[in-house]
Amino acid sequence: MKSKIIIIISLSLLLAVVLFMAWDMFYNNPDDNVNPYAYDLKSLRSGDTTKILYEETGHFSPELSAIHGVDVDKSDRICICGDNGVEIFNPAGDRESGFPISGTAGSICVDEGGRIYLGMQDHVEIYDKTGKKLMQWTSCGKDAIITSIKVSGKDVYLADAGNKVVYHFDQRGNLLKKIGEKDPERRIPGFIVPSPYFDLGIGRKGELWVVNPGRHQFEKYDGAGDLISSWGESSMSMEGFCGCCNPSNFAMLSDGSFVTAEKGIERLKVYSPAGVFRCVVAGPDSFIEGTRGIDVAVDSKDRILVLDPEKKEVRIFTMKKPGN
Amino acid sequence: MKKILVLFILTIILTIQFLDAYSVQRFPKPEFESGYVQPETMQPSAHAGLLAVVDVIVLAIALALVTWLVLKKRSRIGVFGMSVLSLGYFGFYRHGCVCSIGAIQNMALAVFDNAYVIPLTVIAFFILPLVFTLFFGRTFCAGVCPFGAIQDLVSFKPQKLGVRLNTVLGLIPYIYLGLAVLYAATGTDFIICRYDPFVGIFRFDATFGMFIFTGTLLLSGIFIARPYCRFLCPYGVLLNWVSRYSWKHLTITPSTCIQCRLCEDSCPYDAIDMPVTDKNPESRSGRIRKMILICALIPMLMLLGGYTGSRMHETLAGVNGKVRLAKALLEPPSSTGKPELMEVTAFKSSGKPVAMVYSEASGILRQFYLGGWILGCFLGLVFGITIAYRMVTTYRTDYTPNKGTCFSCTRCVDFCPVDHHDNV
Ligand code: SF4
Repeated sequence: MKSKIIIIISLSLLLAVVLFMAWDMFYNNPDDNVNPYAYDLKSLRSGDTTKILYEETGHFSPELSAIHGVDVDKSDRICICGDNGVEIFNPAGDRESGFPISGTAGSICVDEGGRIYLGMQDHVEIYDKTGKKLMQWTSCGKDAIITSIKVSGKDVYLADAGNKVVYHFDQRGNLLKKIGEKDPERRIPGFIVPSPYFDLGIGRKGELWVVNPGRHQFEKYDGAGDLISSWGESSMSMEGFCGCCNPSNFAMLSDGSFVTAEKGIERLKVYSPAGVFRCVVAGPDSFIEGTRGIDVAVDSKDRILVLDPEKKEVRIFTMKKPGN
Repeated sequence: MKKILVLFILTIILTIQFLDAYSVQRFPKPEFESGYVQPETMQPSAHAGLLAVVDVIVLAIALALVTWLVLKKRSRIGVFGMSVLSLGYFGFYRHGCVCSIGAIQNMALAVFDNAYVIPLTVIAFFILPLVFTLFFGRTFCAGVCPFGAIQDLVSFKPQKLGVRLNTVLGLIPYIYLGLAVLYAATGTDFIICRYDPFVGIFRFDATFGMFIFTGTLLLSGIFIARPYCRFLCPYGVLLNWVSRYSWKHLTITPSTCIQCRLCEDSCPYDAIDMPVTDKNPESRSGRIRKMILICALIPMLMLLGGYTGSRMHETLAGVNGKVRLAKALLEPPSSTGKPELMEVTAFKSSGKPVAMVYSEASGILRQFYLGGWILGCFLGLVFGITIAYRMVTTYRTDYTPNKGTCFSCTRCVDFCPVDHHDNV
C-alpha cells in the first residue's frame, strides 16, 4: 500500500514534468510582450533600506516657478536660484528675502563675503544679497552651459557642461586657465559630459574636485590644473555609479566626505574622503521617478539640503540618531 | 599509400576546425573619444577546437572502458566509478554540451537543411554510442551519459512500476523524439536543449523555473529510477532500437541460469524479462488470428496517427517564430485586447513587407503539414508495434535483461550466485 502511494506520487511528479514541457511548448508565450533588452531599472530601484542612515527632518517650498540650484552661506542661510529669481531662507526654512533676475540661473554659489554668483547659461552674474547686480562676466561661448560655480578664496571655478571644461577665473572675471581638457601627455583623460549635469566642489584643503560624469569618476586637480587622483566605480550596485553619466551633483561634508546625487536611479549617497561608500541618504523611493538635477548643499551642522526640482522643494536630511 | 592519404585528409579536416580559433579581427577596433572601453571580443578559447577532439577521444575511451567493465569485468563498482567520472567530465567540466541526446537535433537539421554545416564532434557524439550499442548493448547509458549518472545518484528507493505502466510511459520518448526531429528539421527550435533538465545544474546557472523543473524530475527519480532515461530520453529510443540487435549483450548469469530467482527484483529499471515457458503454448490458429489483427491494426493506427498529426499541424507550427509572427500580424492587437507583441514592433520597424512573412509562414505550415503526417504515422507505427509486442508471447527459459531497455548497469549481475566457472 505504502509503495503504491509512493509510486503514485512519483508518477504524478514525472507527469507534471511532462505536462509542463507540453504546456510550455504549445501554450506558454511568457515573453510575448516582455522585451528582454528593455532598459528596466525597477529591480535596481529597490535597495537595501538598512543602508539608509539619514532621515528627512524638514522641507520648504520656494516661490520660484522652477528651482535649479542651492547653496548655503557662512551663516547657514539657504540660497536658491531658479527661473527669474533668487530666494534666501533662514536655516529653519523661513523665507527671508528674494530678488528677481532676468533669465534662468542654473547654478548658484555664495562666497565668504555673501556675494551671490549665478551661472546664467553662458555667463556669470554676481549679486549682493539685496539683489543688486555687482558684476556680469563675459560669455564663455555660445555652447557654454554653466552647471556649477565654486568660489575658493580669490579663485572662482566654473563647470561648463557645453564645452566640457572647468574654467579658473579670478574674482574680477579674468580667465586664468582651463582645467581638465584632454591631454594625454599630462594624463588628463578629459571630461565626458553627455548631459548638462557637471558639478565641481572645493575640498577641505582647497583642492578642486570635479565629477567626470561619463566616467563615473571624481577627479582631483591641483592649483596648476594637474590631475592628482581620482576615485569612482561604474557599477549597477549601490556602491557605484551607473547610467550614462553620474553623479549629477555633489557637496562635501565637514569631514571631507562626499554627498552625491544621481539621476536615472534617483539616490543620494555618502562616500568617505577616500571614495569608499558609506551610506545612503535617500533612495529612489524618496523621489518622483524621473527626477533630474537634484542639487545638494551642506550647512555647517552637516545637514544635507536637497533641492528637489520635481517636487519643487528644498528637503533637509539629517543623520538618524542611534536607535532610530 | 592509402593510409597516408586518409591520414592526410583527416589532418586537413582537423586543421580547418582549429583555424577559427586563430582567426584575427579583420578591421581595427574604432577608437572612441568618449573613453568607452571596448569589451573583450568573445572568441572560442584557442584550445576549443582541441577540446572538441579531446571530448571525442574521452568519449571513445570511456565507452571502451565501460564496455570492458560491463562485459568482461562485470563490475558494478567499476561502472559506477566510470559514471561518476563521466558526470564530472561531460557534465560539470564540459557543461553538458556537446551531448549525444541533443546531437539528434543537429543530425536532423543537417539532413533537412543544406546550409547547416554540422560539426564533426557532434557527428561523433551521435554515432559513437550507437555503434558501441550495436555491438555491446547500452553501455553508454551505464557509465558514460552524465544524465544517467546524476539520476543514479538520487535513485535511493527504486520501485517496480509493472509492465503496463512501463509500456505506457515508455511511449513518451517516442513522442519527444518525433517532435524534436520535426522542430529541428524545420529549423524551428532545439527542444531537447530547451528542456534539458540538467544543464542548469552542470553550469550552476539554473533559473528558478528550471530549478523547480529539475528538482521535480529528480524528486520523482528517488522512487522511479532514471525517469528521464526511461520515460523521456529521445536518444534512448535510438539506443533501445539498436541495442535489440546488439552482438554481445550483458547477461545476468555468467554461465547457465539456475532459475534461483535471486535476480528477479534486482533491476531498478524493470528491465529484466522473466522466463516464459511453453507449457501451454498458444494454438496455431490463435497466433494466425493475432498476426492478421496486427497486420490490419498497424496501418490503421499509422493512418489515424498521420491524419491526426496533419490536423494538428497548425498547433505544432505555432512554436515556430515566423508562424507566430504571421499570426500576430494577422490578428492586430486591437482585436485581442493585448498590447502589440515585441516581435511585431520589431518587424514593423524593419520595413520588410508583410507579404514576405505570410509567404514564409505558409511555406513553414506546409512543412508542418507534411511533418505532421510523418510524425503521426511514426507514432501510429510505434503504438501498433507496442500493442503487437504485448499481444505476441515470446518464450524464454531464463531471466534475461531486456536488450532494448537494459542500461547494462550490472546491478543484477551481483545477485547471480552462479560463478563464472560453474558448470551446473
Ligand atoms: S544490467 Fe541488470 S539491473 Fe542493470 S539495467 Fe540491465 S537488467 Fe537491469
